[in-house]
Amino acid sequence: MTAVTIDKLTVRFGAFTAVDNVSFTVGRGEIFGFLGANGAGKTTTIRVMCGLLVPSGGDVTVAGLNFSGGANAIKEKVGYMSQKFTLYDDLTVEENLMFKASLRRMDRDFTKRRMNELFSFIAFEYPVSTMVRDLPGGVKQQVSLAASLLHGPAIVFLDEPTSGVSPAVRARFWALIRQLSGEGKTVIVTTHYMDEAEQCERIALMRAGKLIALDSPAGMKATAYPEPLLQLSSEAEAGRQAVAALGVNPEVIRMWPHGMRYHAIMRDEDSLASFTRRLPPGVKAVRIKPSLEDVFVRLVEGVDR
Amino acid sequence: MKLIGGFVPFRALAVARKEFMHVMRDPFTIAMAVGVPVILVIVFGFAIDFDFRGIRMAVYDHDDSRLSRQLSEGFSSSGYFTVIDGRSPGAPVTEIEDGTAAAALVINPGFEKKIARGESAPVQVIVDGSDNQKTGVVGGYISGIQKAMTVKLAGAPAYEPIAMRSRFVYNPELNTQWFIVPGLIVIVTGLLSILLTALTVAREWENGSMEMLLSTPVTPLEIIAGKILPYVGLGLLGITFVYVIARMVFSVPFKGSYVVFFAACLLFTTTSLAQGLLISVVTRQQQKAMQASMMSGLLPSMLLSGFIFPIESMPVFFQYLTMILPPRWFMIIIRTLFLKGTPVEGLAVPFFALTLMTVILITVAVRKFKRDVEP
Repeated sequence: MTAVTIDKLTVRFGAFTAVDNVSFTVGRGEIFGFLGANGAGKTTTIRVMCGLLVPSGGDVTVAGLNFSGGANAIKEKVGYMSQKFTLYDDLTVEENLMFKASLRRMDRDFTKRRMNELFSFIAFEYPVSTMVRDLPGGVKQQVSLAASLLHGPAIVFLDEPTSGVSPAVRARFWALIRQLSGEGKTVIVTTHYMDEAEQCERIALMRAGKLIALDSPAGMKATAYPEPLLQLSSEAEAGRQAVAALGVNPEVIRMWPHGMRYHAIMRDEDSLASFTRRLPPGVKAVRIKPSLEDVFVRLVEGVDR
Repeated sequence: MKLIGGFVPFRALAVARKEFMHVMRDPFTIAMAVGVPVILVIVFGFAIDFDFRGIRMAVYDHDDSRLSRQLSEGFSSSGYFTVIDGRSPGAPVTEIEDGTAAAALVINPGFEKKIARGESAPVQVIVDGSDNQKTGVVGGYISGIQKAMTVKLAGAPAYEPIAMRSRFVYNPELNTQWFIVPGLIVIVTGLLSILLTALTVAREWENGSMEMLLSTPVTPLEIIAGKILPYVGLGLLGITFVYVIARMVFSVPFKGSYVVFFAACLLFTTTSLAQGLLISVVTRQQQKAMQASMMSGLLPSMLLSGFIFPIESMPVFFQYLTMILPPRWFMIIIRTLFLKGTPVEGLAVPFFALTLMTVILITVAVRKFKRDVEP
């Protein structure tokens, strides 16, 4: 069953095309990730799906509702957590959440129960009477997440929900996302963290407003890297310089720094065998499986373009 | 429950409740709505006074007789003039030129003898005309004193061809404060109401909370209605304080109906708040909203509302222009209620004009309200 259908979506701001002819579907209960550099069009696409932006072209159907029926009907069914903190600093945590609940006419007692439930799940440890302006940035993200989920939406849009959040709380966020998915709720999320993207069932990779890849993390790695991938390293300084010089070797399609090491795409299995036999002393080569970061580097940053 | 146009009252009330919490936590807003009007009305109520008193008059008494001294005393005892001796014989304008006097009185030799013979005794009065508003008022004082002194010094005429007797109704003593203070209520309330709401929508855009609001089913009309509601209460509270000041401090009479007064204040506050919201909706930036509020709120209401300059005396174009200014209509209502007490039927046109303007301003604000987050 489809939760979201995007068909030839185009969004233009004046002469600038932010989203260019993008099509995809998201299934009910799916965790769907958006990956891409800043300005790739992820947030714009999400805002269209939430009814916050009017598309310049194409069709958008969310929860079986089309924009022709008015964006308000869609807004009833979705929850949205913005990239930027959008709650009120001069209200308490509880007042902020109660306000959001009151816009949807939620029962006060139910809201309180739901709030406690969500806060307990994501380990929110501050009193709800705390003024939001007194909370650290990462903790504000917890409040924002709870606010977007308060009314139990069928489809949740989370735009970089974990930026500034501690690793422990990030893990809780993702546990909650998985639980929502288990309950049949659709979660569409953008992130810059590759380990988070790995937890998505499918990922849409965007570059300059275009959808350049759409697959599961495993499928995306296999498609993006049909060739062998090597990790090269050296303990010694001289060895590191030797590694850097290996990039010009004809058996290497492309090589790029990866922390203190290098990743290199080899032409084929024969090139890999011949290359590893002729390695300079002190240089270590390990064949690795590509990570999503490697996929991102190759497809989004276009290292071999 | 949904009303026409998809307006859902509970959502508007939720916005109003949230806005009320913002107001209660912002001492600046409360001070602006309640404290500032009181201070401004007190300051301007005392500062703006068209009753000029103690005008310095240089007297050149070349007759130096009993009657000429009585004439001079007539000016000083009126309270409007402070008489000083002219010090430059033959050049009475000297005091006016150097600013030590605003008027000069020149009594020629033979003044007393001419009156005794029943002849006309010309007396020259020179007035500084550089401030024409003051000159007009001083001219009126001189004319009044001339009549009184003619009777006193020469006796009442046996026959007056036209016996004109003036009587001023509603403000018999032409007390400036009775005229100015009700007008100040209009100016101060109007300007502050515009300022109160001009920042609210712009603030939501600037701090990003508008994105959150727009991601919920709340509509522009619900947001606007919810934002106006708490400020109407605050505005009315401010007017109440100003009313008490007008009555207690300036002793301005109130002859109208309190119900009509309340309805008019409610209507005008709503109109001004709607004007502020429209500014906020269009500018979406607090700084621009503030500038636009001052421009559209202060200048037209000071100059074109009839507060100081009578609308009937303006060029025809400006007379028509004033019709689209809410303060012009509220000025009529307020001055009428304070000084005349005309029944409500007499105020039908101003009430209708304000209602029409409120509807137009809110409609335009809703239509101009950006429903998306497009940059």
